Formats: sequence, structure tokens, C-alpha cells
Amino acid sequence: MNEQELVEYFRTQMGKDPDMASAVAAIRTLLEFLKRDQGETLFGLRESLTSATDCLTGVDSSVAVSSAGELFLRFISLTSLEHQDLSQCKKVMEERGELFLQKISMSRAKVAKLCHTFIKDGAKILTHSYSRVVLRVLEKAAAEKKRFSVYVTESQPDAAGELMAAALRKLDVPVTVVLDAAVGAVVEKVDLVIVGAEGVVESGGIINKIGTYQMAVCSKAHNKLFYVVAESFKFVRLYPLNQQDVPDKFKYKADTLRSSQSLSEEHPVIDYTPPSLITLLFTDLGVLTPSAVSDELIKLYL
Amino acid sequence: MPGADKNTDLSERIEAFLADLKRGGTGAGPLRGSAETARETTALLRRITAQARWSSAGDLMEIIRKEGRRMTAAQPSETTVGNMVRRVLKIIREEYARSRGSSEETDQQESLHKLLTSGGLSEENFRQHFPTLKANVIEAINELLTELEGTTYNIAMQALEHIHSNEVIMTIGRSRTVEDFLKDAARKRKFHVIVAECAPFCQGHKMATSLSQAEIETTVIPDAAIFAVMSRVNKVIIGTQTVLANGGLRAVNGTHTLALAAKHHSTPLIVCAPMFKLSPQFPNEEDTFHKFVSPHEVLPFTEGEILSKVNVHCPVFDYVPPELITLFISNIGGNAPSYIYRLMSELYHPEDHEL
Repeated sequence: MNEQELVEYFRTQMGKDPDMASAVAAIRTLLEFLKRDQGETLFGLRESLTSATDCLTGVDSSVAVSSAGELFLRFISLTSLEHQDLSQCKKVMEERGELFLQKISMSRAKVAKLCHTFIKDGAKILTHSYSRVVLRVLEKAAAEKKRFSVYVTESQPDAAGELMAAALRKLDVPVTVVLDAAVGAVVEKVDLVIVGAEGVVESGGIINKIGTYQMAVCSKAHNKLFYVVAESFKFVRLYPLNQQDVPDKFKYKADTLRSSQSLSEEHPVIDYTPPSLITLLFTDLGVLTPSAVSDELIKLYL
Repeated sequence: MPGADKNTDLSERIEAFLADLKRGGTGAGPLRGSAETARETTALLRRITAQARWSSAGDLMEIIRKEGRRMTAAQPSETTVGNMVRRVLKIIREEYARSRGSSEETDQQESLHKLLTSGGLSEENFRQHFPTLKANVIEAINELLTELEGTTYNIAMQALEHIHSNEVIMTIGRSRTVEDFLKDAARKRKFHVIVAECAPFCQGHKMATSLSQAEIETTVIPDAAIFAVMSRVNKVIIGTQTVLANGGLRAVNGTHTLALAAKHHSTPLIVCAPMFKLSPQFPNEEDTFHKFVSPHEVLPFTEGEILSKVNVHCPVFDYVPPELITLFISNIGGNAPSYIYRLMSELYHPEDHEL
């Protein structure tokens, strides 16, 4: 499976189901790559998978795709430890890969089930940009006959907030779109803030669309609850200490990285929110405090 | 028939316990012997295990879950009952896994690692019958009871590490755990205790009497004076009704004030709480967090005229967020609030969080 086929497959997967997370599409693509791989050695397999992941990050530079690639690589290593023979190993990998995909397809439902009880009747919620997980949570809360209203930020430069507002209006939820700059002014009116995450880092902080950090600082200043909803495959082995520590390859879109002359003139599309500003994280592994996230990562990677 | 007699005897005991729970929660004083409640619950669960009819672990867990739901419904604010039920359910799961011979003792929790390596959608349905399971479970429950009996002693044993000579300690209301903690330290050290009376039940008075009988210099202050006196205090040591899953507390009303004053003066806040008070609930999850009792403690019914013009509330509990707490001292040692999630995962199974 060469580069072009890989990118084609990835794009088809993303196009087939717009509701699917980009990380899931990446894992599906890598699994297909594994099935078609002709390599004879494990080392060769790992190498080709690494280059496949690099190729995918060239299409979609988000943290989620990169973390999906690392998770898949880890999955290969763990499975190969049990079976020495490559062909048998590959069969087991394919089976387990399918099971893994099945399980993570249910993760959003699990997150929604955990989180909707924290939304009280009459709550005013603030959220940022367009997150499918947050949408799922709010759907579930609305299905449980809870009455709540939502403020969504416009979230420039791609106005993703409008998409979120449209989806919420379909659910008959009263929604107001606010400017990104209006977050500080709006936060005193709301009861809680719920955001999604593109990646959850080792310290328990999150990487998300630009504007999330601002929202977190404002909500801390007003003592509002700041909840993050994310599936567990978004956990990534990064430990940024500040905004600058986040690698450039995640901060800008793939096209920008390729074509721009000097990155300092580009606008970053993501930012990092430190764990001290987050109240709780809702994942398919349960409700976690930020300090519990590193435990989960250690269990997997060490 | 002896079988029928045992069954009616068992259900009578359960009914008596439920009635006691319902009665015991109304205004007899908020921190009503959680240790006794925990012990009685565990003894009752042991009796159910011994006498009820069950053939597999799954049946037993269903029975215990059913009784557990009834008990927690009788008195939702008494979380120790639910905690003990969850401990026993975890014991049953462990004994079952041990009987099956699987090495599942370590990681029963969901984790990324499990997601990647598990061979199939492992649905344990606990249907297999093991003849030794009953004896094993009862033995494990007995161990749990022994642990419960030793909790106050284990906590009091750590007192000397935390209390130094000529220190001024502040506490609020009445906690049996804190009482024993301070009395144990008083055997070897001389220190001064300031007790906030904790209106309207004023349990602080009883605490002060008891401490002064143990030859500890005690002062009682009204709740309004907490902030004023805090600058002279070296440490704040309190008990609590429940420890929540995020490391926060559900403690007697007035504790949040005390915690904020301590934070302002950078005074360490130490919470003495045995492990059976650890509950897998989060503070904003349900509406049953608060309990209100009769407001006649606040404003007696004799104050006729004003009663028609005002609303009077008498809440029993306070929420203290985890950022205000320095250390938890429990029977297994001292822990930071950010570590509570780990202790929770060791004590309870995630599927038992909702009974």
C-alpha cells in the first residue's frame, strides 16, 4: 500500500462518516495498511507503520492522528511480545485491531452516559467550537428531559461554532453564538463550561482549538466548573509546560506547515490548557481528575 | 421449618436496620457514629451471605446489591452504608476470580492497556458455582470487620508525627476520630486546642468537655470568630462525614469557612478520615448532596411573628473543595487529595459505583 493509496483510504474513511473522529479514521487506515503489508520482519513492519503515520500527519496534522499512530504502534509492540511468529502475530493483530475499533466506537456513548448526570436542570453551559463528543453529551442530557441553554463561541478562523449552534438548534436547545472575545464577559452568566479535546497530555492538561485556554482562565477566575470530555484514545505522551512547548507540527495545519515561509507569521490553531484549570475529565475509562491521567498513560506505555 | 425461620429472622434484622437508619438521620447530630454504622452494615452483609439462598457469585451480588439499594434509599446522606456494600461486592469479585484461578487480582479496571491487549469482549457473568466461595467470602468479610475495628487506633497512632509540642490546633464540631487522635498525642505532648462550636447543634461543646477531661487545654470559640483566631493557629485538624471521589469533603456545616480561613493564612488543613468514608460520588453529580433538618435549631418556633416573613434553612453538610485540603490521614497512612482516585480504584470496582 503506497503513500497515495494510504491518503486516499484515509480521506475516504473521513468522508464516509463525518461523525467519526479523525483518530478512528487513522486507526482504520493503519489497520488496512497492516492487512496489506507484505513485510517479513517485525522491524520492517514497525518502520513502515511509522512512515505511514508520518504520511497521515502530512494530511491531517492534528494531535489526535499522531496519538492514534503512537497507540497503534504500541498495540503492535504489545501483541508482538506474545507471539514470536510474524504471520501468526499478524492474524492476532488483525483480530484484536477489529475488536479495538469496535470498543472505541462505543466510547462516545460511554462518555455521554457518564457526563450527562453532571448537567443539572436549568443549567447554562458554555462550550467552545465544534466538538462531536460535547454534542453527544448534550444530546443525551436533552434526551433525559433536562432543560439547559448553551453559549457557543464562534471559534474563528473557521467559524466552527456556527456548526455547533446549528446542530444544537436541531435538538431544540436554546443556543447563543458569542464572539471569541466575549468569553470573559459571558462566563459570569454560565454555570459550567464543557469542552472537548483534540489531545489529552500526560500532565492531565488538554490540547484543543485555539481559545480554550482563554476560556479556562476566565472560568477559573470566576470559580466556574470546567469539564473536559474526551475519548481515551486521545491520550498522548506529551508533557508541555507552556504554550511554546507544544510542537509546531501540531500548532499549524498541514498545508500551512508545507507552504509557509516563516511560521512566526502564521496563526496557531490549537493551544494548551494546563491541568490546574481543569475540574474533571470525562473519558470512557471513567471520570478522572487531572492527576489520574498520567496513571493511565503509565499503565499503557511503561 | 428451620430454613423459613432463618429467612424471616434475616428479613426482620434487615427491616430493623433500615428503620434504625431512617430514624438515626434526623437531627440527632450530624456525625452519628459512622464507624458503628459501617460495622453494623458489614455484620448484616455477612449474615446475608451466610443465610440467604444463593448458588453462584452472580446471585449473591444481585442479592447484596438489592439490599444495598434499599439501605442507601433509607438514608441517602449516610454514605458509609453504600461504601461497605461496594467493599463487599469487590470482595466477592476478588474471591470469585481467585477461585477461578485467574490472575485478575491486579487490574480489574478499564485502562488503555486493557483496551489494546484483551482477547475478546470479556463479559464476566459470575455464573460458575464454587463450593468454597461462601467460606472464602465470609472469611474476607471477617477480615474487613477486623480492619474496621482497628481504624480509629491506626489513625490515632499517627498522631505523634503530626502534632508537636506547644502547638495550637483548631478543630470544629465533634469527630470521634479527631478526639482519639488528639488524646493519643496528648499522652506525650503538651498542646492547645481551639474548638469551634459549630452551631446550631453545638457539638463542639461536647468535644471540648471530652478533650479537657483528657487534660488537654481547650478553648471554645463561636463560628464567627474562626477567621479572627486563625492567625494564631498552627494546624487545623478536622473529621468529615464523607470523602468524595475528587478528594473533596462532605463535612459538617462550617467546615468550608474553616478551610477558607486556613487557606488564607496558609495553615495546613489535615483531615482524619478512615477508609470506609471514601465514597465514589462526585459533588455535582446528584441532588442528594445536601440534607436539611428542622430549622427550629436556627430559629425556634416560639419566634412567632418573624416566621411568616422569612425562609429559614438548616443545612447539615458543607462541601470543601480538594484545593483547600493539605493532607488526608487514614488508617493506611497519609495521602494527598490528588491521590484519592488511586485509593478509590483499589477499594471499589467501577461497575459498583452505581448500585
